[in-house]
Amino acid sequence: MKVLALVPEAFGGHGGIAQYNRDLITALARSGGVESVRILPRLAAGPVGELPAKVTQADPIFARSRYVLNVFAEALWRRPDLIFSGHLYTAPLARHLAKLIGAPYVVQLHGTEVWREPSPAQRTALEKADAVLCVSRHTRAQTVKFTRAAQNRVIVVPNTVGADYRPGDREAARRKWGLRDEFVLLSVGRLDSREGYKGHDQVIDAIPELADQNRKIVYYISGDGDDRTRLETLAERRGVSDRVLFLGFTPRNELPDLYRAADVFVMPSRGEGFGIVFLEAMASGTPALGYAIGGATDPLDFGDWGRAIAADQLLAALDDMIAMPRPDSEKMFQAVRKRFGFDVFAQQVEDQLVRRFAAAA
Amino acid sequence: MCGLNGIFAYHPSASSPREQELFATREHMRARGPDGAGIWWSPERRCGLAHRRLAILDLSDRAAQPMASTDGSLAVVFNGEIYNYPELKAELERDGAAFRSTSDTEVLIHLYQRFGAKMVAKLRGMFAFAIWDQKKRGIFLARDPYGIKPLYISNDGWTFRFASQVKALLAGGAVSRDPEPAGIVGFHLFGSVPEPFTLYRDISSLPAGHTLWVDRMGMREPQRYHSIATTLAKGAREKVESATIDARVRAAALDSVRAHMLADVEVGLFLSAGVDSGALLGLIHDATGANVRAITLAFSTFAGTQEDEAPLAAKIAERYGAQHIVRHVNEAEFRHDLPNFLATMDQPTIDGVNTWFACKAAAEAGLKVALSGLGGDEILAGYPSFVDIPRWVGVFAGVRMIPGLGPGLRLLGSAIGLSKNTPKIVGMPEYGGTYPGAYLLRRGLLLPFELQTVLAPDVIRNGLFRLNLFANLSASLMPDPGSALGRVAALESCHYMRNQLLRDSDWTSMAHSVELRTPLVDSKFLSDVAPLLPHLGRNRGKYALANAPSNPLPDEVAHRAKTGFVVPMQSWTHAALFQPALPVGAKGLVSRNWAKHIFRTYQPAA
Repeated sequence: MKVLALVPEAFGGHGGIAQYNRDLITALARSGGVESVRILPRLAAGPVGELPAKVTQADPIFARSRYVLNVFAEALWRRPDLIFSGHLYTAPLARHLAKLIGAPYVVQLHGTEVWREPSPAQRTALEKADAVLCVSRHTRAQTVKFTRAAQNRVIVVPNTVGADYRPGDREAARRKWGLRDEFVLLSVGRLDSREGYKGHDQVIDAIPELADQNRKIVYYISGDGDDRTRLETLAERRGVSDRVLFLGFTPRNELPDLYRAADVFVMPSRGEGFGIVFLEAMASGTPALGYAIGGATDPLDFGDWGRAIAADQLLAALDDMIAMPRPDSEKMFQAVRKRFGFDVFAQQVEDQLVRRFAAAA
Repeated sequence: MCGLNGIFAYHPSASSPREQELFATREHMRARGPDGAGIWWSPERRCGLAHRRLAILDLSDRAAQPMASTDGSLAVVFNGEIYNYPELKAELERDGAAFRSTSDTEVLIHLYQRFGAKMVAKLRGMFAFAIWDQKKRGIFLARDPYGIKPLYISNDGWTFRFASQVKALLAGGAVSRDPEPAGIVGFHLFGSVPEPFTLYRDISSLPAGHTLWVDRMGMREPQRYHSIATTLAKGAREKVESATIDARVRAAALDSVRAHMLADVEVGLFLSAGVDSGALLGLIHDATGANVRAITLAFSTFAGTQEDEAPLAAKIAERYGAQHIVRHVNEAEFRHDLPNFLATMDQPTIDGVNTWFACKAAAEAGLKVALSGLGGDEILAGYPSFVDIPRWVGVFAGVRMIPGLGPGLRLLGSAIGLSKNTPKIVGMPEYGGTYPGAYLLRRGLLLPFELQTVLAPDVIRNGLFRLNLFANLSASLMPDPGSALGRVAALESCHYMRNQLLRDSDWTSMAHSVELRTPLVDSKFLSDVAPLLPHLGRNRGKYALANAPSNPLPDEVAHRAKTGFVVPMQSWTHAALFQPALPVGAKGLVSRNWAKHIFRTYQPAA
């Protein structure tokens, strides 16, 4: 099976969507049923690096009309057996392409793009798609809500958590950040004023109310962006500047240690398409907390270890998690891996893309 | 009959199902099965099945459910009756199958073992069932050809759930209550929620005559194994001698009645003064010679009037040696039962009151099973719609040729005040020219352009889009049933009967732990009479049915004008809601007000 992948970004890209596309293409390339994967990206900001075997990636083309022309040229030249649209925006293009060359097409949805009603062209592209892959149950529900797509073709294939998020030397990790016996709440995410929904302000608001008999409670905020000033002002106003630490951007390779160092990962976000950070934290041995809003209910489905709560219960839940003894990190890691590890993900890609369309190829 | 439910966490990322949820869903269906209850888990605990039993065939615990195969590789939950199970069992035993019980449930296991999904073609009856297949780690579900038994499913992308009732799924606590605008709009158009929709986006019905397979790859596309239109189309191609019609109707009805008498408990009958139930009683007498108990509702309002069915029903009962039970219902009892009636209603519906009382009476008499004449009008062309719809289509087909003329005439009609008391008249040119459109005119409570009087614009827009009304109605006419009467029969069977009559029969009977059986709604009976349908002019079919018993129904029954139970309900519901007396000729408006009231007071499960 030859696959043509239209993606905003994959290898050499930043952020969650690029990561998901990389994971999916890596899984596809590992399948015995896949002959080749050709990636046509709009962007590739960083170095592309080494690609998996059987995978090639074209140079990115940002200009829309040139991108479309190139996509048609590639499709007619390569005659793929399956067209993969890695974003809703390219779904109408994938639909026309699929019709032209008589191949099935699949649309990948990440989350927030279907929180509003899609355009008529996008809706039709979703309804006619041979499969729509959604990262979360919530994304799926939104898709079902806005389209007449047959329910059996709207499928959940969740994000997968990177293999290096696992328990490690927690004491060493804590020393790295100069921690002694503080109790550390942690958030990881961009501080984007447009994405103010991440909920950092609510944690800052809660800090004065939180108490621990022996330990000082501090809040580590990893990530940077234009919302930082507002959050710093808020911390001052609440008189907790000394307990809120803005770490700035944390390099990818330092994230596992940061998660290990924390005691509770908290991100009361209202706009997660999935919320991979919750899984990263739990896989690293730190329990996680967030709101039962949007896609976050999927990673936060681990009982005491990963909780999705109603928006008015943040304080009570934080109190409860602070009082809870730290769970067995190895058990938590295994539980996360069993449900969201790469092997499970790769099996789903095999089932839903390779096996489903093998007959057509 | 029974209540069944299950949870299958098919997706590897899903957390395992909770027994608490399985239990809560099951216990919401207590009334469906007061005689026993069970829960079963697959070895990995990824699938749980639950069941509440109303014991009718093989009353012993050997027939309890969920029932597993001897080797443990299959487990089944089943609601309904397989009327041809003795034949199937004999056949399977000849092939070497060993049975532990005399229940029809066990037959399902052996049939699945031997024939897989194709087993459904062998079944005669009303059923909804689910079979867990441990070897394939998947679950197989099926629903009977007519959709007599309900089967609601919910798939959130991780976990698949199913149950016999919508409210039971909600009672489990894990299924979203987000509204389905198509269900809301559908209810206001028809007075019942059109399948496969419910009032909730995440709950739909498995379409009648379909099977479904769910495994680690998720929920597959439902597969159709039976179609009423196909059966009618096939029948229409057969040449029929007019002189043979009566004999063929008799043979078909007798065969169906005989099949439907199968039970290890007493079987009774709901008897009105009409042809359908009267003929059934006569045929029961022919088939079994038994003196069954027959229940007739008598309304105090009608005592001594033409509409009182009790005197004529008494004559029919006497003719066939039945023990006649006349159950009197007055307005006070109606009002007393109304809150419970509304609370028990699974999905909103504007009907069901009469079946509610008939089933209540059956339960009081100690009956667990009762036959009903439901379906005779749909398949033997008994309704006025069999005359009206083809006529309208003939008259208005031309209007459709000129784009915009239909809506234009509607606006004109409204402008001159025609729509005030008879709103449907102005819709005639717009909708009357096609079978689906004319059917909507005949059966619709409101027409699409009237929805704005009761619903918000975005609900209407979304609901009509998702409901896809005319595509939905047209689908029941594919392939073309081959005759005008066939088309109406298909529409009536797949919409009014399925969404309204059969749903109401199910929830009202189950509320009283009574099994209602419908010999005239039967796939075998349908294929037997399908060839005759094109030749049944006005009332021909009903006369044939009236003459089906060896001792035919008296003429005064066969020629009695259709009245039905509806009338006292109309005035009572109106009085219950609005106090003042019913305005003359305002039947349609009462239904609309009743619909509004039902919708306002409808409560999802606590």
